Amino acid sequence: MGTATRAAVPAWSRRRVRIFDREAPLGYLLLVPTLLVLGIFLLYPFLFGIWLSITDSELGNLGKFIGLGNYRFELRNTDGVFYTALVNTFLYTGITTVFKLGLGLIMALLLNQAFPFRRFVRAALLLPYIIPTVLSYEAWRWMFDPTFSVINWLLVHIHLVPYPGPNWLGVTSNAMAALMIVNVWRGTPFYAIAFLAGMQVIPVDLYEAARVDGATRWKQFTNITLPLLRPVLLVVLLLSTILTFADFQGPFVLANGAPYNSTQLLSIWAYQWGIPGGAIGIGAAISLVLFPLLTLVVAGVLFLLRRPE
Amino acid sequence: MPKGNKRTRSDWSRREFLKTAGVAAATLAFPEIIISCGGQSSTGPSTTIPKARKGASIRLLQWTSFVKPADAEFKRQAAEWGAANGVTVAIETVTGDQLQPKTAAAVEANSGPDIIQMQYGWPHLYTDSCLDVSNEVNILIGKLGKPDPVNAAFCQVDGKWRAIPYTIVPNAWTYRTDYFQQAGVSSFPKTWDELTAAAAKLKTTGKHIEQTDGHAYGDSLTMWNPVLWGFGGKEVNADGKTVAINSKETRDAIRWAQGAVQAGFVVHPEWLDPDNNQAYHADRISGTLNGASIYIREKIEFHHYTDVTNNAPMPSGPKGTFAMNLIFNHAVMKWSPDAETAKAMLLALMEKDTYLKWTAIAAGYNAGPFDAFHNDPVFAADPKLKAFQDVVAPGKWPGWPALPSKKTAQAQTQYIVADMFAKALANGGTGDIEAAVKGAETSLKAIFERP
Amino acid sequence: MATVARPALGKRPAGRVIGDRFVGRAIRVYLPLLLLLVVTLFPFYWMAVTSFKSASELFDFSVSPLWVRQPTLEWYHHLFTETNFPHWAFNTAVVATVSTLISLFCSILAGYSLARLRYRGADSIGWGIFVTYLVPPTLLFLPLTIVIRELHLFNNLWALILTYPTFLIPFCTWMLMGFFKGIPRELEEAALVDGATRIQAMVRIAIPLALPGILAAALFAFTLSWNEFLYALIFMNDSLVKTIPVGVTQELIHGDEFFWGELMAAALLGSVPVAVLYSFFVDYFVAGMTAGAVKG
Repeated sequence: MGTATRAAVPAWSRRRVRIFDREAPLGYLLLVPTLLVLGIFLLYPFLFGIWLSITDSELGNLGKFIGLGNYRFELRNTDGVFYTALVNTFLYTGITTVFKLGLGLIMALLLNQAFPFRRFVRAALLLPYIIPTVLSYEAWRWMFDPTFSVINWLLVHIHLVPYPGPNWLGVTSNAMAALMIVNVWRGTPFYAIAFLAGMQVIPVDLYEAARVDGATRWKQFTNITLPLLRPVLLVVLLLSTILTFADFQGPFVLANGAPYNSTQLLSIWAYQWGIPGGAIGIGAAISLVLFPLLTLVVAGVLFLLRRPE
Repeated sequence: MPKGNKRTRSDWSRREFLKTAGVAAATLAFPEIIISCGGQSSTGPSTTIPKARKGASIRLLQWTSFVKPADAEFKRQAAEWGAANGVTVAIETVTGDQLQPKTAAAVEANSGPDIIQMQYGWPHLYTDSCLDVSNEVNILIGKLGKPDPVNAAFCQVDGKWRAIPYTIVPNAWTYRTDYFQQAGVSSFPKTWDELTAAAAKLKTTGKHIEQTDGHAYGDSLTMWNPVLWGFGGKEVNADGKTVAINSKETRDAIRWAQGAVQAGFVVHPEWLDPDNNQAYHADRISGTLNGASIYIREKIEFHHYTDVTNNAPMPSGPKGTFAMNLIFNHAVMKWSPDAETAKAMLLALMEKDTYLKWTAIAAGYNAGPFDAFHNDPVFAADPKLKAFQDVVAPGKWPGWPALPSKKTAQAQTQYIVADMFAKALANGGTGDIEAAVKGAETSLKAIFERP
Repeated sequence: MATVARPALGKRPAGRVIGDRFVGRAIRVYLPLLLLLVVTLFPFYWMAVTSFKSASELFDFSVSPLWVRQPTLEWYHHLFTETNFPHWAFNTAVVATVSTLISLFCSILAGYSLARLRYRGADSIGWGIFVTYLVPPTLLFLPLTIVIRELHLFNNLWALILTYPTFLIPFCTWMLMGFFKGIPRELEEAALVDGATRIQAMVRIAIPLALPGILAAALFAFTLSWNEFLYALIFMNDSLVKTIPVGVTQELIHGDEFFWGELMAAALLGSVPVAVLYSFFVDYFVAGMTAGAVKG
């Protein structure tokens, strides 16, 4: 078909096509729309955000450069809230990611099967990801409310726990668990859909060949599905990790750091300093404290992704 | 009760005196204000009265009040004024949580609503973005008398008014008279120690007195700051610099709280502002501290416990009676192209008759911030609402006795006082007092000693 | 011509024990599915029940709260007659659709470029695109406000349509890089050898093969915009131009009193129709978009 197309286009156009046949010019050209949008809308805010963290800026008052003063302030603050937030952020991200990954994989494998009412089941399993978060978090808050916890009502009525049941948000360990449960509930469908889509790209003949060789279902999963899912898996893991690190809305609506800052997260602590407290320099520093670490992680994943197979 | 009555009455007469004195002083200083007030502001040629510009459009941003009809009335009044003056008025209402990021964005962009509702000490956070409205406040003082000292402390930055006093949302105790009687408690406690005793008795009814000690925007502040003050404790000295939380008085306050919790007063670190309302409406608790919203919603919507619900002012501590209320004021923002029109509108909405129409519809949820509103008929119409009027006078602001500042705002939004109590009240009121006080001191020092 | 993965996985090799058809499948598929469904759907069941309860029944836990005794449609009625819910839903749909389309266009091209083509600087550009993701929006919204002011877009749906791609494009680009990466290089190279240009190879080979990924990315982009809260809160002022998450919370949460019935009704109406739409979408890509593309 190549010759036919070439004959049909005029000479000047053909030359241009040739230029873009080389990988470099085409590569840059394809990036133009993206860089344009991000350049206009994101470059300035992004640089501004980083700049804020190294100044003593307050809301409405651009400050002056103070080096790493804001970072030093938080790192040296002995009231410990910052470190609690740091540890909690890692726990929150780490634990929920493990669950979302595992459950998401299971959900994707299940949704890849044929079963009755498939369409209904898929819609249902997707719901937590679709519902506006502000509203679902309020609903969860209400389900955790010690006075009206329908969860506790159920647990008590099936005699799993004695009345009145666990205080979900009033005790530190429970509150962290509650935050994680809600995050996993909401985040799992994201993994599932991405994995499900990833499985569709895997050529079927690989499975057929494996079956001919007598590979068990588990062997097929570990030898074909998992390795070929790797690029998608890596990306999903990275995206989800970053989003969970910065997760604000859920923890803010559910706990807002209570009881006494024991469920504090970096995102909420940054917000408290930056917006209600007006010290946006400090707020920026808190939210960017992991920036160097995260950029390295991103670079690492990018390296793995671009490495030739 | 009679004791409380007497105190309030004498307080009123003092206020009446101050009001008269204020008007007299204003008459001497600015005779034109009085003249133009008497002869309808639009006809007065005075330059101090802000004039609305025909064809201007004004946008006002404030929180969504609990009382739906009150928001509607406010919008109606603004629209009515706009129609009479050829001004397009838009009122945007957002939730309490949403108001601050919207305000912060407007301040950062130097663009946005012409008028923004300033809650608590925001004029101190956004000073440079709020126009000096001293002239307008002086006009109001001439008409309405002395402003409430808490509104004044929040609005005034370095001697200049950065916001116009708007309203007070008084916080008082709402309790069930039937459970109190059943427990043998004849009236709501007058002192914190009596509250402990009452909590112990009410425990026997199965319906406790309960309150938040968590990160609630309003309720945890209005509860724990007055407790601290009542025992003589304070976060910082009057100089606004020296952290003073580590004191015997603070420990007294915490010890009282521990005793109360051990006796049967229930605290919830997980409660936010709506939770005590819901628990009350659901007949789960016998008393809690809140704005008038619980009582009003019982009265106008649920009708379940209206007859057995009453309200009471704050109990006293050994060092006096203190209260904390939600305080809202209106700032005219510096980016407004029609600042004069905005000021004129705010003045019109604060006119006594107009304002009283609004508080009447707010049904006791709001109190006026000037002396002229101290005998607001809405509180006389329902004697049960009187408590909400009584908590206005002993009201203070977070950080008191230091004046409001950026630092006190930071201490407030980090819930340092409430967290100190919450730590000590963990595990049924047996937390480590020393650790709680030290923690609060470190956090406060980080804020107040930061250059 | 290849078949798709689903039927192949579902197909049982011959010569298995007969009992496995039912018992094994029940344990392997139906039971976990049922568990997942219960956990996932319970909050929605609770929201639905709540949205039909009258104000006084709402707080009554003396009898089972899991059922409605006197169902009322009052809250749904309120939502449509006393709030601008239909407007909010329309705005949300418009914003989500347009910003998703813009983002997909940009990120398909960028994703292909970064995953498939070799040229200098590709690594650092890919890294740069993603690093923007590391500055949390809780902070980024402040300077972005200044950009919106300069473009005079306050209170205009375009403010959302144009800013949502800032978080959708990095997301979709990376997502699609993963998918493009998974397509065997040989397929494209074969086309190139046949004389196709690079662009033709991309449009005719790589993009169709990555279609499940593109659809998944579209789904995510749409959901992220559908749910977005912060920018919509900051940039929009009039009730008529608001989106569902912002409009609903602003008009149904009054001070310290929540209007649960309407809130939950709005939550359901704001998610269930979309979920149904999605399931058709997912059906489409699971049903074998790759069929005919992968040479068997």
